[in-house]
Amino acid sequence: MGRYILRRAVQAVGTLLLVMFLLHLLTTVAIQLNGNPAQAFFGDKVATPAQIAAVEQRFNLDDPCYDQVGNPCLGPFVERLGQYAQGDFGTNLRGREVSEIVATAAPNTLRLFCVVLVTWLALGMLLGSAAARWRGSAGDHGIRLTSVLIDAFPVFVLLIVYRYVVAVPLNGWAEDTFGENSWPPYWFKPSFDPDHPWATVVVPGILLGLAGSAAFIRLVRASQLESYQGDHVRTARSKGLTERRVVVHHVVRNSSVPVVTAVGLTFAEALGGAVITEGLMNIYGMGGVLWEAVRNDDVGLVLGVVTLLAAVTVVVMIVVDIAYALLDPRIRYE
Amino acid sequence: MSDAVTPAPTARRPGGAPSSPLADAWRRLRRRPDTIAAAVVLAFFGLMAAFPTLFTTTSPRTCPIREARTTPQGWGGEHPLGTDALGCDVLATLVHGIRPSLLLAVVVVSVSLLIGVTLGLLAGYHLGWVDYLVSRAVEVFLVIPLLLAALLVLSLFKGVDLGTGTFNVILLPAVVLILFGWMPYARYVRASTLEAKNLDYVTAARSLGASDLRIMVRHVLPNAIGTVTALLPTSVAGVISAEAVLSFLGIGVRPPATSWGIQIEQGSEWVLGGAPHILLAPLICLVATVLALVVLGDALRDALDPRLSA
Amino acid sequence: MSPASRMRTAAEGEGRGTRHSPGAERGEGEQRALLEVTDLAVEFRTPDGVVRAVDGLSYRVEAGRTLAIVGESGSGKSVSSLAVMGLLPDTARVARGSVRLAGTDLLTLSRKEHRARCGEQVAMVFQDALAALNPVHTVGFQLTEALRARRGLSRADARRRAVELLDLVKVPNAKARVKEYPHQFSGGMRQRVMIASALAMDPDVLIADEPTTALDVTVQAQVLRLLAEIQAERNMGLVLITHDLGVVAGVADDVTVMYAGRAVEQAPVVPVYTTPAHPYTRALLRSIPSAAGTGRLPVIPGRPPSPAAMPPGCPFHPRCDAARDICRTEVPPAAHPAEGRMSACHFASDIMAGREPAPEAGVTTSASGTSVPGPKGDPDD
Repeated sequence: MGRYILRRAVQAVGTLLLVMFLLHLLTTVAIQLNGNPAQAFFGDKVATPAQIAAVEQRFNLDDPCYDQVGNPCLGPFVERLGQYAQGDFGTNLRGREVSEIVATAAPNTLRLFCVVLVTWLALGMLLGSAAARWRGSAGDHGIRLTSVLIDAFPVFVLLIVYRYVVAVPLNGWAEDTFGENSWPPYWFKPSFDPDHPWATVVVPGILLGLAGSAAFIRLVRASQLESYQGDHVRTARSKGLTERRVVVHHVVRNSSVPVVTAVGLTFAEALGGAVITEGLMNIYGMGGVLWEAVRNDDVGLVLGVVTLLAAVTVVVMIVVDIAYALLDPRIRYE
Repeated sequence: MSDAVTPAPTARRPGGAPSSPLADAWRRLRRRPDTIAAAVVLAFFGLMAAFPTLFTTTSPRTCPIREARTTPQGWGGEHPLGTDALGCDVLATLVHGIRPSLLLAVVVVSVSLLIGVTLGLLAGYHLGWVDYLVSRAVEVFLVIPLLLAALLVLSLFKGVDLGTGTFNVILLPAVVLILFGWMPYARYVRASTLEAKNLDYVTAARSLGASDLRIMVRHVLPNAIGTVTALLPTSVAGVISAEAVLSFLGIGVRPPATSWGIQIEQGSEWVLGGAPHILLAPLICLVATVLALVVLGDALRDALDPRLSA
Repeated sequence: MSPASRMRTAAEGEGRGTRHSPGAERGEGEQRALLEVTDLAVEFRTPDGVVRAVDGLSYRVEAGRTLAIVGESGSGKSVSSLAVMGLLPDTARVARGSVRLAGTDLLTLSRKEHRARCGEQVAMVFQDALAALNPVHTVGFQLTEALRARRGLSRADARRRAVELLDLVKVPNAKARVKEYPHQFSGGMRQRVMIASALAMDPDVLIADEPTTALDVTVQAQVLRLLAEIQAERNMGLVLITHDLGVVAGVADDVTVMYAGRAVEQAPVVPVYTTPAHPYTRALLRSIPSAAGTGRLPVIPGRPPSPAAMPPGCPFHPRCDAARDICRTEVPPAAHPAEGRMSACHFASDIMAGREPAPEAGVTTSASGTSVPGPKGDPDD
């Protein structure tokens, strides 16, 4: 088990290095084709060459390789890796440390993901298990219809409708019904409130979780159906165990393996969704920072945040691999 | 669909020729009314993308500001769906906005499919270093979520001028979405290639001296294509909604071309300002398209893997 | 199995075979049947209509005796035992018949009551132990799961019992191995674990569904011997389902040969080998390779019919080397060519006597022919 984790960790570090190199390459090519981003620092103002040079130096863009199209700029890459290793992920256009911005924004993203994860597992496990258990029944068809409908509303659409159409009247209704200072009005606030971080993140979190849950419902259903048809379930029944025990220990338990793997894969997708959610709902999280950075052409910030999020994804994938090994002894003892 | 698992004593269709899985799938699809409805919806929007002039004669670029935010006048009126905040005809924008979205979706999905299938097939068939390279590449690209990558690259390349032709306006989003969208196909194809490679008939074909290429194309690929086919409609839907998000952020389809995402962005400000139709019209079209695609994907998944159907 | 031991067991079988004989319509024997299946029919719903996988099967198992059910895959032998255990898939249903276990008809019980008797009174060993054991639980957990859940054994007692069970099936180093997972066991050891888990609740009847098919030949013999020993020790009734008539000789007391969902021959083990009374049994015996054998091994031409397209008349006639016109039109009734023997063949006596049936004889009278229910199993009914 220890060796397995170690092997995965080493592999993950390799992946992360490659990811950073890929991001570096993309940035380099963009700078080479696009002209120097130092200009963006000044917006519409005209800067003197000396000012630009100063900015270039500050953002480590003074290497001549950035003027040669096709040059992979390995020197600056190594330099940047060194900075990353010291926890320096660059600065935004106003000179604020990316790591500092992320540190203040991350807790809200974590809150959002807690809600998302709970939504996924609750909806996926409940509806997926029910659909598999009563396969072919009206309930199964209803659940399938639900998952199709969920899929038909991308997060983006759900949130726009919620924010611009539903939230304001709902918020007003809640204020009228429960009073202005009670909890419910905060749940339906159309934008984030840093004083009530949990309450204002619940609904956006559920909506984001909802969007991913269709895949979970399908996956849970499919993997449990497979379990139900498995020989080991027949064996468990032949021992005279109650159906409830068979379902819990032999169907749900066995189908948890693919479900956990899916959490890992869907996580990356949900990060994208988090950007939309946080951006649209003004949640000050990592995604919200990224959203604003894109709107403000703050390339340094975008690069820093994307790199960090990629690192987070790698870590999540390792955690998933470990969970996978814990759940499936066949992997553990390979 | 009530045909469930065939039990141990497998029954061969009496007098029926053995049918291929794809033909079976087709037979099952044709029987479902929801599939037919979805196909009709898609055909409608496809027609709209191909021949926008059939649906509107107004140009989306004539925007008299004094006619801004006209409420929908119904069929036959000058602005059947009203006008937007700048006075542009909503219907015209809608009709002309679908082409870039749809074109982008089709281009992205078909090119990533091509890349994914080729790499997956090569990796699964040859294993060894080919497989190592492909698997690592998949891993690396999977770590960067599609939307994050798109945000990064599109904001990086925002200033690059690419012209205004039909393909030029979608070129950049297309490249990014392909670059970070081929992995699922490669993974699926690799997995089913591994499975198919050891099937007896493939071993037999190899021992009879069939070339690698022939084995891959004739024997392994047909096996792998099923799972991937079921992914396609949902992937197209995914690209369409990703494009909407990117356009919303102003880094998707480039102006002056319009798209539903751009319309939604503009419309969202006016929902509570007395002109909800500016938002609702493109939103409803987007949902209808995505819904049709998802229904189709769901039906395909069922048809290709009847073990899971209800 | 050595020829000597085969002879010995066979001789015992013969001795007992005169006292007990199979067949459901026999009156109450001296010994009460533990498990008695009568006129069982199982149907499957398929996209092409209802097909009958088992049709009119009857057998009985007594304490301390072994019944071998022999047939090709798809002959209905496994399906019939799943029906006994109440484990038929959703697409299948029991069309008629009864399954009496210690006097109670299991098929009239509710699903829950039926389930409660499984493991306790009748247990089953499945074919592919790797698939039949749960890969994510330890062997110890699976061995005693039923005891803990149903008899409330404590964790420590369960652990002790699990070690005992593994010792019982002769898995070496049982103490350490209860903590391991099925995939860490070899094929033969896994099958022993499977047997141990079926024995955990001390069942009266054990149904073993092709317990040795997935194993190496040498391991097969060990596992079979183990089953026979345990059965004798505990005086259990054992139903051994197999497609290999060769493995039956040493362990079984009685044999039921199934073909296309029906029992075609039922008899004590020795006479089945010496004087088969059905052409199918005869053909099966001829196709067993023997060490001394030279020349080509005869095979049965053709394939078993699909339950969806059953030929008219005797289901075996298209492949039968003794088929006559009557076989193509009339379903053969159950004939009793000798005491304690049943054969569903128009020419049972001739076959048993080693004679070829007369070229176009009318109906060769067969002793006390109680008629098997008429032709069922049309694909569309």
